[in-house]
This record gives sequence, structure tokens and C-alpha cells, in this order.
Amino acid sequence: METTEIKEGKDITVERTGEEERKLLFKDPLCAVCGLCETICPVSAIEVCPTGAMIRTEQDTSKIEIDENKCVLCGMCSGICPFQALDLQIDGESIKTMVEYPQIIKSADIDELECIQCKACETACPQDAITITRELPKRADLITGEIEIDKDTCIYCGMCEEMCPVDAIDIAHQIPSSDSPVVATDIEVNEDTCVHCGICKRICPVDAIRQVCRICPYGEYEIEVPEVTGTSYIDPELCVNCTWCQEICPVDAAHVTKPFEGELTIDQDTCQACETCVMVCPCNVLSFPKSEKAGSKPEKLHKDERFCIYCGACEKSCPVDAIDVKRTKINYSPTKSKAWVKAFESLKN
Amino acid sequence: MAIGLKAYRDLCHGCGNCVTACPVNSLRSDDVAGGKGPSELLDLIMIVEDGAVQLKNVDLCGKCGTCVESCPVEAIRLEEV
Amino acid sequence: MPKHIVSGLKYLAAVNLRKKGQTQKEIANALGMDRSTVSHYLNGRNISRDSIEVAEVVIEMCPKDSLLLTYTLLKNKERTRTIIRTCQNKRYDGVIKNSCIGCGLCVDTCLVKAIVLNDLKAQIDFKWCCGCLICVEMCPTNSIEIKEVVD
Repeated sequence: METTEIKEGKDITVERTGEEERKLLFKDPLCAVCGLCETICPVSAIEVCPTGAMIRTEQDTSKIEIDENKCVLCGMCSGICPFQALDLQIDGESIKTMVEYPQIIKSADIDELECIQCKACETACPQDAITITRELPKRADLITGEIEIDKDTCIYCGMCEEMCPVDAIDIAHQIPSSDSPVVATDIEVNEDTCVHCGICKRICPVDAIRQVCRICPYGEYEIEVPEVTGTSYIDPELCVNCTWCQEICPVDAAHVTKPFEGELTIDQDTCQACETCVMVCPCNVLSFPKSEKAGSKPEKLHKDERFCIYCGACEKSCPVDAIDVKRTKINYSPTKSKAWVKAFESLKN
Repeated sequence: MAIGLKAYRDLCHGCGNCVTACPVNSLRSDDVAGGKGPSELLDLIMIVEDGAVQLKNVDLCGKCGTCVESCPVEAIRLEEV
Repeated sequence: MPKHIVSGLKYLAAVNLRKKGQTQKEIANALGMDRSTVSHYLNGRNISRDSIEVAEVVIEMCPKDSLLLTYTLLKNKERTRTIIRTCQNKRYDGVIKNSCIGCGLCVDTCLVKAIVLNDLKAQIDFKWCCGCLICVEMCPTNSIEIKEVVD
């Protein structure tokens, strides 16, 4: 029985095979360098690299180091990691699916029935974890009308074709020849595409186009607006449960449970506005506000705690100790193990 | 292996960006915070000496990477030491 | 030479198992032997006095040495624990403290397969514990206490 460590790029696997096969997997790209794994490790086997250096500068090494001579593969780091960067598997099964292990209670869901596919969450998500797909109806299905081109009057100048915003007009242009001395042979309107905007009619120099839109005279009740359909997906590996989607959603379709509760305090006098925390924060909690008008000085560093999951990465990254992250509650499922409860509770301060 | 601050004096132009960008320096010196070099001898992480960056009190460094980003010629780096 | 010590150990175990009423077939299965060899051993044949003497010393050594030597010779946890448990007449008891984190290191280390994890806590089956204290030494949180039971 021996514990071995394998590095694949920046990812790390620590493995011990005995009565059971235990594997601790570290996925470097998912790590936010918050340092919780280092804090909870009961055998001091994990060293987390300097947060600012790992996020702001190019580094060849992994964000954490695991000493395989110390690691006992207990899985506490995997249990607490709020970013899915660490996972302990026993005989191929993740402890995140085992009832005897305490599970951090966190979730993020988008209610498909409520979602209107506006994509606000997709744009706001700091981890690009959300994908919204939507099927929009054809423009022509939202409008009704009639269009007719008098081919005898038309001089095939092509102005309507050039100006049509939906490319609904198609003219069969040609170079005139002695057996066909005309600049075009035909003009067609695609009625499925035409939105009856009337631009062609207005630009036509010879008044060859007759077009009416039926919306205005008859009222909107005339047409039934087709429904926008779509899907939403939150990548569970990338999601950090920051609640950006929940807060920005205009129809309350997104629901998020944060893993931790707490308090984030910034000492504005000590802060030197180096921006490290702003870049480090996986939840886009922090920003530098701009002055609204000359001479007005806003706070140096702005926070919006609605989005904070109290992981502590900012506090760990601050070179002048201007940030204090206090965790008041760790949300986890009950376990019979007193040692695990004690370890989780020790992260409160 | 730990990550720490390293200065490459032979690459440095002596612009002093790192000295003033460093949040630890600017907290310790009002001159530095104001964008100047230090006017008195203080415990700073790095200063410009003889036209090039010179590390002074590396133990104060919080390894935030601000100086690395401010340097136009990669003369100050955070790397394995 | 190692083979002779193994013979001696198996002889001692066979005799003890017979005393406990096991059949020759059962003994042969438990120790991984031919039935005929068991029969010979029980009749004092095909075994040298020297082998038995060395085996007796092995059993009398401190539990950890005794276990490591036996396991090294047999390279089989089941047979090792059968031999140790039938020949050694000491009993052990103990507690797992609440500081146990359920890392399973003791489960993997225990050469007599006496430990399992239950609700993230080690559980020792003292029927098999031979008092080697390897688990106590290995436990990263010093959560195991084992003592010899003295009547």
C-alpha cells in the first residue's frame, strides 16, 4: 500500500490502493485559489500558492501542491471546495454522492417554465457557466401584408433589392445582349421573408410596387405571435453559486443557494487599489467605481455582497490585509462524523 | 517549491513603475502612493537603485502580482524560487 | 528456511484448530494446505522439531514482529490472521475516538483485515485484532487506542 501522485499538465491525482481504491483529483482550471483546502486539511498536506500570483501572472505550476507523503486521502478538501476543483473518489465513486459524507448545500437552477430566454444570466455569469439557446420565430411570422410588383412597369434598377432589410427581393440581373437587350429578366419577392416594411415601395422610382401592411389598419389582434422556445443549461462544474443569474433575471426564473454565509468587510483606508482582489474574485463581487462627476470621489473599492460566497480568495490575495471575510454559516448536510462536523465548523470565524 | 519575487536588473530600465504600483510600498510611503519615488529611507519591497530595480524587503511581499503587471519589460517577476 | 518456518506455523495452527474441533478439511481450507499434509501434521509426521520450535518463537515475539514476520512469509492476509489468531492467546480491546476522520489508512494498513469504516469512522473487529498497533502508529489523527485485555 503506497500513496502515489501523478501530474498531468497542472492537474493532480493522488492515489492509494489498498482494501479500497482512493483517488483525489485536482482540476487546476476550476481552482479559484481560495485556500479553504489548505485550511481544512487535517494533515497539512496541501499548500496553496499565492492567490494573486496564480491569477494575475503566468505560472507553470499548479495552483496547489499536494504532498503525497502526508496526504491520507480523507477527502475533507474535496468536501469543502466550493469550486469543484477537488474530488475524492472511493472505488470510482465521488464522495460528493455518498450520504455518509457531509455535502455542502449549494445549488443553481433555472426554471425552464419561467425562463424567457433573454440571456441576461448568460451575459452576467462571471464563470461563463450558463448557456441559453433560443429558437426565434421567422420575422415574417410576426407581420402580415401583401406585396406585388408590376413587372411591366419595373425598370429593374435594383434599388428595392439593395435596400430591402431582409433580402426578400431577388432580381435576375444580366448583361444585355443582342438577343436579350434587357438588364434583368425577372424580379421575385419572397413572401415568406418579406416584413412589409414598405421601403421598396417608397424607393421605387417608377411606382411599380404595391404593398400593404395589415397590422396598422386592422390592429395587432390579427396575428398570433409565435412563441419563443429555448433551453437553459448551467454547467455544474463551472458554476460557483454566486447568484448573479438569480439577481439579474427579470422574471425570477433562476434560483441559487450559496454554500456559505458571512460578511465581507473592506478597509477603504488601507486599500491601495491594486486590483488584485477584483481580478481574483470568482463571483465578480468587487469593482472600482468611476467618479460620477469631476471632484466627486467614490469609495475606492466597491462590493456587492449579494454575489459573495465568502470563499475568502480576496482576503487571501490582498497584500495589505485590507479585506476581511467572515464566514458565519457553512451549509452542509448532516453527518455522523464528529471530526468532519468539527472541521467544517472550524471554517467559521 | 514556493513562488516569490525576483528582479532582473539587467532587463530593467529603471522606470520605477513597480515601486509605485506596489500596494505594500504605497501603504508604507505617502510619496510612493503619490506616484513619486521614496524621499526617505523606508522599508519598501523594492526601489530603483543605480538605474535598476533592487529588491529590498522581499519578506513584506504579498505576491499579488501588481508590480509584474506594471513592468513594461518583464524585469520583475513572480516565479519559483 | 522460510518454508520450514511456514510449515512450523501451519503445524501449530493446525493443532490448535483441531483442538477447537475443526475437521481436517476445514483446517486444510483455512491454511491453504493439502488435506493429506494436515493429516500428516496432526499425526506428527513430515514436520521437523526445529521448524516447530522456530514457529513457537515467532508466535511469542511482540505482536507487531510476529505479525510482520508471519505475513512476510505467507503473503496472504486471511491465512496470516488465521494463524496469528489461533496460535496467539492474547485478547485486545480499544476505542476509536471522535477525532477519526475516516481516511481509511488503518483499513488499508491492517494486515489482519480487522478494520472497516462505518459512517466515516473506523471500526475494529477485536475478534481479529492481534495487538500489533500498526494502525495506532499510522493514524494521522491519533484516534485509535488499543489495550491488551488482562483477565
